[in-house]
Amino acid sequence: MIRKIRLDGIESAPVWIVAFLGAYSLVHLLVLYAWNGAGQAFSIQATSGGTSVLSVAGMAAVGLWLCLVVLRTFPAGSPLRSAWLLLALAAAVQAASIILGQFLGSDWLLNPLVWTGHATPALLSQIRHAALMAAGPLRLALLAGAILPALRILREFGFWARPSAADRAIFGVFCLFALCRFGEAGAASLSGESIPLEDWISLAGLPILCVLFLEAMLLRQAVARMGSGLVARGWLALVFGIFLTGAGEAALWVIPHYSLSLPMAGLAALNQLLLASAFALVPACQVAAQRQAVRPVTEAEEDLSTSLPAMVR
Amino acid sequence: MHPSNARLLAYCDAEAGAEQSRRIAGHLSRCEKCRGRVREIRGEKDELSASAASEAPATPPGLAAVLSAMEAWRKGRAGGLASELKRRVRSEIETYFGSPAILVIERPGARAEELLGRASGMFEVFLGPDAADAVREDVLRGLDWAGPDGEKRP
Repeated sequence: MIRKIRLDGIESAPVWIVAFLGAYSLVHLLVLYAWNGAGQAFSIQATSGGTSVLSVAGMAAVGLWLCLVVLRTFPAGSPLRSAWLLLALAAAVQAASIILGQFLGSDWLLNPLVWTGHATPALLSQIRHAALMAAGPLRLALLAGAILPALRILREFGFWARPSAADRAIFGVFCLFALCRFGEAGAASLSGESIPLEDWISLAGLPILCVLFLEAMLLRQAVARMGSGLVARGWLALVFGIFLTGAGEAALWVIPHYSLSLPMAGLAALNQLLLASAFALVPACQVAAQRQAVRPVTEAEEDLSTSLPAMVR
Repeated sequence: MHPSNARLLAYCDAEAGAEQSRRIAGHLSRCEKCRGRVREIRGEKDELSASAASEAPATPPGLAAVLSAMEAWRKGRAGGLASELKRRVRSEIETYFGSPAILVIERPGARAEELLGRASGMFEVFLGPDAADAVREDVLRGLDWAGPDGEKRP
């Protein structure tokens, strides 16, 4: 029997995401190289900000849409529905935080609050804080909640392995980084220095990120036992996204301690796009796997798949 | 250290002990070379089953000969179908999860329908019911397979 299910280009989403990310990163790095060669004569951060915001927002929107597509394929009561529901919520929170932080929380022409004259500095600041809270602790907690059912199911199917020594070492280094951040904030607080609310929000996300890191390591080990099939690649993208979140946090904290000449806003924007792409790849790989499963079989494929010996037939 | 061919053969035939099987499965999950050897062994076993099915039965005279031939043909046919079904299920597992997953899902000595049942459960959980049904349909397409519930596919 030949299934008649309409095909669209959605199953090639992982390829498009990786291609876009590759092209964008290449252009970004070339611009950085040219900027460095030109003796850092102009402000690169002022010119690249708009395109970065639009790219990150677009990627987050794609990730959210793909999550919703996947969520619809898991009916109520499916073991992984809760995981995909939380992943979709995390994607929605990420998209909302970008809209709040980059569009509504900034003083630029496309902000409707600016048109209507309601864009007071206090309101914009509150919107940015809400965006940070959504993108930080709230989103990380949703991701941590999403991985739990996935780990439980992987364990039920026998894909369970303990973290390796390297995993434990990486986790230890990240915990050390979190402790350094808390130590620095504590020292600043004791010396009477005022700590911005943005920093407090970032600190609030660190313990959740530590838990998420641990879950990601367990997930990585479980997926390594599975292999590199289409479904496994999606979960691996989630692991990669979480590692990148932690590494980005650490890098953006460490680099300014050693080098003030690097264009941090540009690097942060590139990191954000990398993150948005990694998290968009999670549902993209899942959709690709599901679409491949329901793909109509052509006559030629059918002949190959039924190549039984004549006697057996 | 890699397990010997004899141990891998015993593992594939479900003749290694529980502890030995567990150790070999653990090693296989990490060692691509040994997974390749296990695939070769299973391929050879499948070929043997298929060739046994295609061999002409001995023909003693009379009705007993006819019945005996029919029985031998039926057994061989079922063996060939089971091998083909296993091959297809393994191929689908490899596509969606990866080759190490075959070693986790396929218990040593498991029958074809057990492997199909276990894999179907996994497809349903990870891909959703619609995609899982489609994969199952693909696996059974063209096979005159009567599952444990008596279901048959065209």
